[in-house]
Amino acid sequence: MNIHTTPQRTPAETALIDAFSDRLSLLPGDGTVMLKRDDAIEAIKSGLPTRRIESWHYTDLRRLLTSVPDFDPAAVAKAIAPVVEGSAVLPVLNGVSSTKLPDIDGIAVQRLSEKLTDGSIAPGLDAYGADDAIGALNTAFVADGYFVDIADGTELDKPIELQNLQAGGQTHVRFSVRVGAGAKAVIVERQAGEGAALVSSVSQLLLEEGADVMWLIVQEQADTATHLAQFKAHLGKDAKLTLFVMNAGGNLVRQEVVVRTTGEGADFTLRGINLLAGDTHTDVTMVLDHAVPHTASTEVIRNVVTGRARGVFQGRINVHQYAQKTNAKMACNTLLLSDDGEFSTKPELEIFADDVVCGHGATVTEIDHSHLFYLMARGIDEKTARGLLVKAFVAEVIEELDDEAIVEALEARLDGWFVAHG
Amino acid sequence: MPAVQDTIDRVRKIDVDQYKYGFQTEIAMDKAPKGLSEDIIRFISAKKDEPSWMLEWRLEAYRRWVTLDEPKWARVHYPKIDFQDLYYYAAPKSTPGPTSLSDVDPELLRVYEKLGIPLKEQEILAGVQKTDASELEEASDNVYKSGRVAVDAVFDSVSVVTTFKKELAQAGVIFCSISEAIREHPELVKKYLGSVVPTSDNFYATLNSAVFTDGSFVFVPKGVRCPMELSTYFRMNEKNTGQFERTLIIAEEGAYVSYLEGCTAPQRDENQLHAAVVELIALDDAEIKYSTVQNWYPGDAEGKGGIYNFVTKRGDCRGHRSKISWTQVETGSAITWKYPSCILRGDDSSGEFYSIAVSNGYQQVDSGTKMIHLGKNTSSRIISKGIAAGYSQNTYRGQVSAHRKATNARNFTNCDSLLIGDQCGAHTVPYMEAKNATAQFEHEATTSKISEDQKFYVMQRGIPEEEAIALIVNGFVKDVIQQLPMEFAVEAQKLIGISLEGSVG
Repeated sequence: MNIHTTPQRTPAETALIDAFSDRLSLLPGDGTVMLKRDDAIEAIKSGLPTRRIESWHYTDLRRLLTSVPDFDPAAVAKAIAPVVEGSAVLPVLNGVSSTKLPDIDGIAVQRLSEKLTDGSIAPGLDAYGADDAIGALNTAFVADGYFVDIADGTELDKPIELQNLQAGGQTHVRFSVRVGAGAKAVIVERQAGEGAALVSSVSQLLLEEGADVMWLIVQEQADTATHLAQFKAHLGKDAKLTLFVMNAGGNLVRQEVVVRTTGEGADFTLRGINLLAGDTHTDVTMVLDHAVPHTASTEVIRNVVTGRARGVFQGRINVHQYAQKTNAKMACNTLLLSDDGEFSTKPELEIFADDVVCGHGATVTEIDHSHLFYLMARGIDEKTARGLLVKAFVAEVIEELDDEAIVEALEARLDGWFVAHG
Repeated sequence: MPAVQDTIDRVRKIDVDQYKYGFQTEIAMDKAPKGLSEDIIRFISAKKDEPSWMLEWRLEAYRRWVTLDEPKWARVHYPKIDFQDLYYYAAPKSTPGPTSLSDVDPELLRVYEKLGIPLKEQEILAGVQKTDASELEEASDNVYKSGRVAVDAVFDSVSVVTTFKKELAQAGVIFCSISEAIREHPELVKKYLGSVVPTSDNFYATLNSAVFTDGSFVFVPKGVRCPMELSTYFRMNEKNTGQFERTLIIAEEGAYVSYLEGCTAPQRDENQLHAAVVELIALDDAEIKYSTVQNWYPGDAEGKGGIYNFVTKRGDCRGHRSKISWTQVETGSAITWKYPSCILRGDDSSGEFYSIAVSNGYQQVDSGTKMIHLGKNTSSRIISKGIAAGYSQNTYRGQVSAHRKATNARNFTNCDSLLIGDQCGAHTVPYMEAKNATAQFEHEATTSKISEDQKFYVMQRGIPEEEAIALIVNGFVKDVIQQLPMEFAVEAQKLIGISLEGSVG
């Protein structure tokens, strides 16, 4: 370890750097935005993160990202039906947003390319840390997406679905959402597509005082795709965010969740399901900052690992010095169903305040034999019994969401995965 | 929940300002020139009368070390260490290789007397030598009752004396300084040295391999239960010296040994470096218990001075059904960087790690363990209690991994920490890596998971919940501390009363 080396650029790094100079003239943005793009590509030039970078310990991006597809202007991604029927859909097809924007009371939607061109999105393009490789990649290349502003006090009765769909090549998309004071909304972030695509997607969410949002990330990329995503949220006073993440696809997936409570009384809930199959690598990394007193968070992650899949969950809860009375709980449970699969977890707590209640738990295990016996003793064959137990293990997390339409829609996605992966 | 007053008071009692081992002693010393180079290594090797293979081994490590960078991943911050500004060899001037206590500088013996460690056994030892054979036999029957402990005392760079050697030899146990072992038992040293912590292991282990000056060597042959507790007492005295000791413990098939380690250092404004390597090897059915009371000088209340403690400790459960147990009570050092680990190689082997780490003042602790499950049906257990006060940072960093062939690997990890005051930090960084479907890992970091049954039992008898929890936790801690001999456990005992109410993960 620690031997001095001068790393050579990998083919993927070279491809990204070359792609940047090729695309530069096509990328929208005013002076400030372009400067940020330059900074971002510099960060990539200094190398993709390796396992030496603590936050990338289990996902050595430099080694795992073996190839980078070219941009494919000919690719045509098809729009798909929303997860929840009747949602207002905002599609981004192969990295291009729609010119047809929905007209809903209390919601202002703008194409992100416009916000890049006029530079008004520039402050949001900063990386959040030196190890923010996804942020850097996205900032360098992002060309489109949506900016959604939900006015104060608006209560939406139907979800908004942000779709990021591709059919190969590279897409770099950003969604920026502000939810006004006291507003209430359900937002679905849909990540899907086909082909060996490289996708970077960054979602930014700002919750004003008392806003209440349920945000669902449904990731069902093709098993050839590289999906690098980031979700960043700021929670104002008494704001409530329930984030649900479902990973059920992709070849190399990293979903980062970066949440900061900036107002007292903020409440954050994360529920995650990782369904891993084939020879894939999926990483969910969360950094949660409790920056002010009296905030709460709970995180529950359930993972099912089959085939030769490798899964990672890293969760870091930072409780800042003045964030007294923080209540934070994190659990990560994994069912490891195959001898070739692996799961690594690192639930971290960094606590600088003394009057807090924080805890975390993590388990890795196979199916409980007594449970299996119980079902089989009642005449259920082993395969069905296993299926029932695995489904119950993950469905528990979905059932907690208190919206029937959403629970049903997500369970349908879950069933779809179980049918496809036995 | 904030910590209760009682706990705060108890922690204050072991505050940095009250470091009572901070005295220094004027003893004529024999020192190598400052700095590190191949010549210094040759000097050390020559001083120790080492065979040429040992020198080669050291030089190889040194050449590797030169190419390495200091590790930066731990949550500790300190100014860069100038490795050329240290003395790598400092030994009390004394007759070469003291064989009995009468050869030892009386000033030195007074140091140990002051520290209250059982070198006092010199008298017992002398008595033993004079007794006839029957009395001797009786003595060995009573070893557990009398609670005698054989001690290897390491003063700065060298081992000054080892007690009870003769009695141990009767049982077939070899207990001596490592330098002596290199001379007297080269076949054993050659076979085992570096087989658990290779010279290429990490920056500090490599440095240690190049410059280690002394340490203890224990060999317990097949089927022998070591008749008494063995211990080493480390004392750093000289200014600007680094202490690099190396301990090697081998328990052959079916053997058992319990080993204790204690450390203190004088109060100085400069930081001193301590980089030790400990290797444990347990063959089939063997058991090694290794306990540490680490009380190096932690620096003053402003964070000035103190020991930088960078230690690599690793046990190898090489044989089937072998067991290695680490117990540590960490109260000293300005910086602690220490991860006693177990490699569970043999089938049905088990590893344990019990730790109480108390940090105060400006101390920084980054400690934990690694349990590497390689064999079948291996199990490990990690219990870590961290208590941070003052401006200190206390990190638990532990790894549990099950490799592909480690069927039925089991782990239970519990780490709790307690913060006293709002200027300190407590951190938990557990790594769990499972590559086998039959592995069962549990990690928890909450106090509420104390057995409900036990709690109910105690509470049913009219004891309030908080006291009930304290009682249960203390009961466990006591178990650990009672393993240590009284003389070593003075500091540790003060921790017994510390309850973990108001703990955070």
